[in-house]
Amino acid sequence: MSDIAPEMWDKLSPSDSAAVTSAPSLTYWQDARRRLFANKPAVVSIIFIVLLILAAIFGPLFSPFTYADQNLRLANIPPAFETYSVADGQGGTTRFFLNASNFNLYEVDAEGHVLGLLRGERKDMLKKSQAFIFGDTTITLDYSKLPARLLAEDGATISPSGWSWNRTYIFGTDQLGRDVLVRQLYGARISLTVAFVATLVNFFIGIFYGGIAGYIGGKTDAVMMRVVEIIATIPLTLYVVLLMVVFDSGLYSIIIAIGSVFWVDMARIVRGQILSLKSQDYVAAARTMGAGTGRILTRHLLPNSIGPIIVTLTMLIPSAIFIESFMSFIGLGVTPPLASWGTLTSDAVETMRAYPHQLFFPAAAISLTMFAFNFLGDGLRDALDPRFRR
Amino acid sequence: MPLYILQRLGMMLLTLWAIVTLTFFLMHAVPGGPFVSERMLAPEIEAALNAKYGLDQPIWVQYLSYLRGIVTLDLGPSFKYPGVSINTMIADGLPVTLRTGLLAVIAVVALGVPLGIVAALNRNRWPDTTVMLIATIGVAIPSYVIATVTLYIFALRLGWVPTFGLDDWRGYILPVFALSGFWISFVARLTRSSLLETFEQDYMTTARAKGLRPGQVLFKHGLRNSLIPVITILGPVVANLITGSFVIEQIFALPGIGRQFVLSITNRDYTAIMGITIFYAAALMVMILIVDLLYAVLDPRIKLTEASA
Repeated sequence: MSDIAPEMWDKLSPSDSAAVTSAPSLTYWQDARRRLFANKPAVVSIIFIVLLILAAIFGPLFSPFTYADQNLRLANIPPAFETYSVADGQGGTTRFFLNASNFNLYEVDAEGHVLGLLRGERKDMLKKSQAFIFGDTTITLDYSKLPARLLAEDGATISPSGWSWNRTYIFGTDQLGRDVLVRQLYGARISLTVAFVATLVNFFIGIFYGGIAGYIGGKTDAVMMRVVEIIATIPLTLYVVLLMVVFDSGLYSIIIAIGSVFWVDMARIVRGQILSLKSQDYVAAARTMGAGTGRILTRHLLPNSIGPIIVTLTMLIPSAIFIESFMSFIGLGVTPPLASWGTLTSDAVETMRAYPHQLFFPAAAISLTMFAFNFLGDGLRDALDPRFRR
Repeated sequence: MPLYILQRLGMMLLTLWAIVTLTFFLMHAVPGGPFVSERMLAPEIEAALNAKYGLDQPIWVQYLSYLRGIVTLDLGPSFKYPGVSINTMIADGLPVTLRTGLLAVIAVVALGVPLGIVAALNRNRWPDTTVMLIATIGVAIPSYVIATVTLYIFALRLGWVPTFGLDDWRGYILPVFALSGFWISFVARLTRSSLLETFEQDYMTTARAKGLRPGQVLFKHGLRNSLIPVITILGPVVANLITGSFVIEQIFALPGIGRQFVLSITNRDYTAIMGITIFYAAALMVMILIVDLLYAVLDPRIKLTEASA
């Protein structure tokens, strides 16, 4: 911009300025769709969100476990492990892995299915060791020095023979031996349900409130917007907390709490749109033709302000997901044994020193979902907002 | 200007009253009294406790006496810790919360704004794409995830910082980072887009055309005008730092107000929940007022419109 080329000051001949309008004319929605699908992050996000919804709905059907199935003998199993094999001297071999955090041995088959906990001999508390007998072979688990190691009869350290993914519990298990993957999928169900329902509730309240304020205008508008202003100054998260304390935790209360609090932005946007649209000629035309207030609002004003409304909606979803997980994290969300991404993360914090996988999966799930909705929101904004039209 | 401040103060008091009322009646709508627990109290004892805390009075009497308490800055006693007042609870936690919060605000301004400037100056080149990538990550990842993951990597695995406590300065790094991560990213994005918008303005072309040095153009004309939206969001930033501190203080075991609040929720200590909510709301509104006044001082256009209104 800083360099203005000398030839830019030249006078243009009439033929130079003849605009070429050869682009096909598109409707608003065709244009918006074209621009949305040209936005790669948005497309990837849509695919991710669709897959996530499908997984949340159908995923748990394919799992042999439910979110509440406990198996304390198979607690805290990682999603991948180093396997050892020991020949028992009678022609058979046993494959197992060592959970170095709780000093247990678990038998696994060749594909990596977890078969069960191996029972050893009595633990020698003084020497901090435990013997395991496989037919003629005896090996010793020595945890007097960390990391724990396995010793053969001659005292040599046995090294792992290979490693394998966990085929029984793909994401491992939590501290009560519940399948992390299934709990994640249920968590996705809860997070998405809360997000969509709460967003819908906000949407209706916001449209109703903002529509009325914007359409009636005058004193009513002033009073209604003053109320919105007061609500907007209150830290809304605090109010969700208070409502959750009153309602007691649970899925329905969190939907009500989030749904009743976050409509303020929507009301403002709708009001602004209606205010700027209601003086348009087509509204006057509709009124001269005898259309009533309801018809003008629903048939003329709201459909024409749908772009910003959709963008605000898409932005509300990640904040609802965030608030839900936040509430669950501080212990005000869904009640156990139900899990949401927030409770999964907060449960994992206690055990993260030993079992980081329990933290990794819910943290990744919520982060990726937040990414997807943010990218989708940005993409929709660019596609629907005429100011970004190029 | 004085009229504007008065108006704002009036509005603030009205809002505060609304908050106190709403909080009071919400907390009194909770089923069961504060002394209902697994261990049944003898009816006489419960009646005596109720009388001691004035809970045997009709609700409007309780409401008025609570309002009187608020006016005299007395938030009442805790129901779970006998002999401890909510005021002491807040006073105990305040220094820690204030220190981490202040550091977080400093981090937001000191990192967010320069990152945004770098991105805007290098539009569509690698510094821009890098900053925007980091900013997108920072906006999407919830603060408690940042907190737990950084805690795991830097404190547990690498051992560079302590896992909890604020005994030395390194203890502040992770909490402040987790608290401010979102807002650093947000401010970087905002600064970038606002600066890019300013670059398009005619007065920028004028400034360049009259031969000012690039630094002067950027700092005197560009930045001064494009920082206004950044300043407006500092109010909400403070608000969100406060709510963010609930989780962060819990994860890092910092003895601040946020942790106290979460603890009160777990204990169902209703007067504490009420008191801390009201304290937060009041602190927040004062912050927003200060930011708005600052805004009017920095942007002459605002003052004019307010004076004419």
